[in-house]
Amino acid sequence: MNDQDHDTVRASQSGRGVRIAELVGAARQGSEDALGQIVTDLSPLLWHVARAAGLSPRDAEDVLQTVWMRLVAHLDNIHTSAALTGWLVTTASREAWRVRAEERRQLPADQELLAELPDGGPGSEEQVIMDDQRHVLWTAVGRLSARCQELLRIIAFAPRPDYVAVAAELGMAVGSIGPTRGRCLAKLRALLDAEGGPR
Amino acid sequence: MTVSDSGGRPSADEPLDDVDLGLLDDIRDMFDATDPMPADLPERIRFLLALRDLEIEVARLTAQEDQPALAVRGAEQSRTITFDSDSLTIMIRIDANRDGTVRVDGWLAPPQRREVELKTTADPLTVSSDEQGRFAFVRVPRGTAQVIVRPAAAGRSVVTPAVIL
Repeated sequence: MNDQDHDTVRASQSGRGVRIAELVGAARQGSEDALGQIVTDLSPLLWHVARAAGLSPRDAEDVLQTVWMRLVAHLDNIHTSAALTGWLVTTASREAWRVRAEERRQLPADQELLAELPDGGPGSEEQVIMDDQRHVLWTAVGRLSARCQELLRIIAFAPRPDYVAVAAELGMAVGSIGPTRGRCLAKLRALLDAEGGPR
Repeated sequence: MTVSDSGGRPSADEPLDDVDLGLLDDIRDMFDATDPMPADLPERIRFLLALRDLEIEVARLTAQEDQPALAVRGAEQSRTITFDSDSLTIMIRIDANRDGTVRVDGWLAPPQRREVELKTTADPLTVSSDEQGRFAFVRVPRGTAQVIVRPAAAGRSVVTPAVIL
């Protein structure tokens, strides 16, 4: 894992990033409480990594448990918030893909198509009441490529200062001077502009 | 609002601006609303991590079933949960007691005598299964709980994921 590189491109010293780095230090010293706070802070991000990969809620829970168990063994190598977030996202993605591959192998052929459909992504909007602006955004997100939808969903849950680390882990281009908008956000904004929305 | 230098479309190479960050916040809110992480998941993971130093075999929750109450008194409904691990299947049935606690009846397969612990939000409870593999915790506080089957002479503890009683 290339943790050091991400450390050097850390975007900013926002409060959250510093706090997480301190928690990692305390967790390494054996503080259950610090580890617990990290779990509480970053589990939503990992939930959306697993769900964006198309896992069922139950499988997503299993993936989170596995990833957190593995982190404990790996804590000695992690010193910053960006390194932590990057490692967690990569490990969760790999584990999610492993679980999906396993399931596909076990599914009879006629169920395969069903397994391809991730639930909970754009398309389940009827579950929530949204104002017009939200609706426009939701529709625009739904028009992006599946890959862009997945990337934006995950990055939206990453701690701000770790945006770059997460984007890099996910294979997004990262500018040399700092975080750039990237293809997916540019495309989303073009779609929203075309809608004549306030953005 | 923010217009890029050329007055044209926002380019992928430009630095992230406030509009982008606002969009990411909105995307986060949308997915929070449509597909929220179960609120108790972090707590269950913390619970599991606290057990990590033990030599353990982790069982997987394989079936969960709610049954409408057959009995008239007390119990609103009964819930059955099955966990599987390599060496053991653990089935538990949860029934509400009238005093607000729950009763947990369990079976081990293959049937065997083992020491069975229930880790709860209060003190852990310990009982032994009989040779049919049956065990029971008659009064258990509601909340997060986890079953730990202690090893036979040689072997590992089997631990279930935490469930909400």
